[in-house]
Amino acid sequence: MFSHLFKLIWNKKGAHSLLIIEIWASFMVLFGVLSLIVYNVRNYLKPIGFEYENVWNMDLANNQDTVEVSSKLNRALQRVKAYPEVESVSRMSSNTPFSANQIGNSVTYNKVTVGADFYYTDSEFSRTMDLPMLKGRWYREGDRVAKFVPIVINKAMEAKLFQDEAAIGKVIKVDDKTSFKVIGVVDKFKAKGEFMTDGPALFQLIAQDDGWNSNLLIKTKPGTDANFEAKLVRDMAVMLPGWGIEISYLKESLKNRHNLTLVPVLIFLIVSGFLLTNVALGLFGILNLNISKRKGEIGLRRAMGATEGRVTTQFLGEIWVLATFSMILGLLFAVQFPLMNVFDLDREVYIIAIFAAILVIYLIVTLCAWFPSKQAARIHPAVALHEE
Amino acid sequence: MLSNYIKIAWKVLLRHPFYTFITLFGISLTLTVLMVLTSFIDHLFGSHYPENKRDRSVYVGTVIQTDSSGTTMSSGPASFDFLVKHAKPLKSAEKVSIFSNFSFSNTYVNGKRIKLNTKYTDAEFWEVMGFQFLEGKPYNETNIKNSDHVAVITDALREQYFDADGGNVVGKNIEIENVNYRVIGVVKGSPPTRLYSYSDVYFPYTAPKSNYENKGLRGRFIAVILTKSKSEIPGVQAEFDNSIARIPDSEIPDRKQYPVLIVKADQYFDHFLNTLARNDTQRVMFYAIVGFVLLMFMGLPAINLVNVNVSRILERASEIGVRKAFGAPAKALLWQFIIENVFITFIGGAFALIFSLLIISMINASGWIAYADLTINVPVFLVSIAVCLLFGFLSGVLPAFRMSKLKIVDALKA
Repeated sequence: MFSHLFKLIWNKKGAHSLLIIEIWASFMVLFGVLSLIVYNVRNYLKPIGFEYENVWNMDLANNQDTVEVSSKLNRALQRVKAYPEVESVSRMSSNTPFSANQIGNSVTYNKVTVGADFYYTDSEFSRTMDLPMLKGRWYREGDRVAKFVPIVINKAMEAKLFQDEAAIGKVIKVDDKTSFKVIGVVDKFKAKGEFMTDGPALFQLIAQDDGWNSNLLIKTKPGTDANFEAKLVRDMAVMLPGWGIEISYLKESLKNRHNLTLVPVLIFLIVSGFLLTNVALGLFGILNLNISKRKGEIGLRRAMGATEGRVTTQFLGEIWVLATFSMILGLLFAVQFPLMNVFDLDREVYIIAIFAAILVIYLIVTLCAWFPSKQAARIHPAVALHEE
Repeated sequence: MLSNYIKIAWKVLLRHPFYTFITLFGISLTLTVLMVLTSFIDHLFGSHYPENKRDRSVYVGTVIQTDSSGTTMSSGPASFDFLVKHAKPLKSAEKVSIFSNFSFSNTYVNGKRIKLNTKYTDAEFWEVMGFQFLEGKPYNETNIKNSDHVAVITDALREQYFDADGGNVVGKNIEIENVNYRVIGVVKGSPPTRLYSYSDVYFPYTAPKSNYENKGLRGRFIAVILTKSKSEIPGVQAEFDNSIARIPDSEIPDRKQYPVLIVKADQYFDHFLNTLARNDTQRVMFYAIVGFVLLMFMGLPAINLVNVNVSRILERASEIGVRKAFGAPAKALLWQFIIENVFITFIGGAFALIFSLLIISMINASGWIAYADLTINVPVFLVSIAVCLLFGFLSGVLPAFRMSKLKIVDALKA
């Protein structure tokens, strides 16, 4: 049956070449859009790993003031902590959650090098962000006196850097002067929002005299409003004359990050949705015409005793063979993506996208062929043969 | 002859409403997507309010320090000091303006918080950009020299900060981060998609917290160089390149680590492209990817159209057979089908124009982009017409060609 259908299609390959190109192109477009969607959905399904609901980010810029920046920062921190509306405060580097900033670096252990996001935070960070520990503990002020710089890593980092070994207690030599010691592992920290991949991350304790990392993350008590914010900014401006002070809510920043991801996906989705509707309508029209042209053949088959079901299956089978043929062509291109690891995406993303695209194409061609072939099968043999 | 063909085309269209619908649907949708996209790109890169002179401006946006092999690099906007030294003195330029990238701030009024974008500019900024002043006037050299605490705000901020019906706000004070600024002018705002003119508040660069005193190469400032005419852009670029090439080593920090200094005065689009693709291979990659995506998105409807047309025209084999039998040459048939298709395409194009106008006015009204001013302007419309013709041709030639090769006997038999 299958080889027969294949022969039928092959004999008319000239007439079908445009159809094949069309299905091939639809497959490629679908593959592209679905890869994007699968990538984002897979990321979205993994939890973000921390709480951001009532957390504000205060961005301090010392501008022209370069005297004793670190001690001023620490005094500002103590001051903010003293407000009754504030639950906890923590210093952090500029790559605060949901900001556009990123600090990337690599560490090497036992000849395995892993690139990771570096976050410079203080001892209060895990409390401010409700970042639960998987193993070990968060660093404390007391760790400053230890010989090694205390760090906390996430699970993705542990798996990549230490493979099967336990990470806690391991010492990583960075250069001749500094060594990191892993004292804790957290589960996830997706600082760029839900759509970020859960990649390796590393938290390092901010040095006492650090004047660079000047963001304060402030966890407020529920119900705190803009009046307190205005008061906070005014007090800070008095305390730090000449400094720039900007407060943003993490909740709002997250919304911005979402839009940055969702708007392009939405545009692609709309455009490819229109394209596929276009193709489906066109396919429907062509198949309608082609099948109605083969009335004589259908009449003959029906007269020879073929059931309606068998005639329908024949036409559906033909379009399936055609679609399969086009998709084999498409797969030649598509499999390059997982094989060559294009754009550094997970292989699974492409593989899921390929299967989803195949499924959607079969669905579309079946829908488009169903109605015309059903109609053709219903033709009365006598009428069809008489017309001939 | 032409009107005859069009009449036939019209009758054929009415004979098969379903195929007519499919064809028109495909054409109008594709052209709509294309037109909306073109108008969006025009919105992003064309010369529009307030950057009306963009077509004869060049931008100095990034300073790139890199090693000779280009493996490690450090880049970002320039410092005020650097731009004053190297962009301001250009002799061939008409005007040079230096201003900061926008930064964020908040202001509070009556327990309400207003998120702000702030920008520090020089006095030339108001001449290089074509802002429309609703009230008051821009600050001038005197304000800058005196380090006056003055500000120009947008109409949107005026409504939020002051009472909407309060009338004239020039002379009133606005408090931002505990500094009081006197409002000196109100301008019609710029859409956020125009990165260089967009802001809610504009300050003279000598106002507090602008950091214009910083030394070194890198900071947060950008220069726009306005040339006298479009044809003088290469001359100005050459003069600028020259000035950069003559920078002594002693002026550049980290010269040891990053021996190569790249600062370019680019036109707006190139400048944007350069941040995405830093060298020629990356630029070729960029164009290849854009071309491939466009080809996919344009090619698919085109193939679809050809497909539908082939079956549609093959259905009319008997008509063609009769015409051939009466001595119509293949060329005449070819022309008939091409004209027919161009005609259909134009009908689809008209629909697309209506759809695009609808979508564009919806985007403009939705507030998705503040102050959005997407338009179907003359170049956009001409591009769409050209694409219409191309589609008509593409989808007409192949089926017509097949038809004209058909033997009379076969045609008549069908």
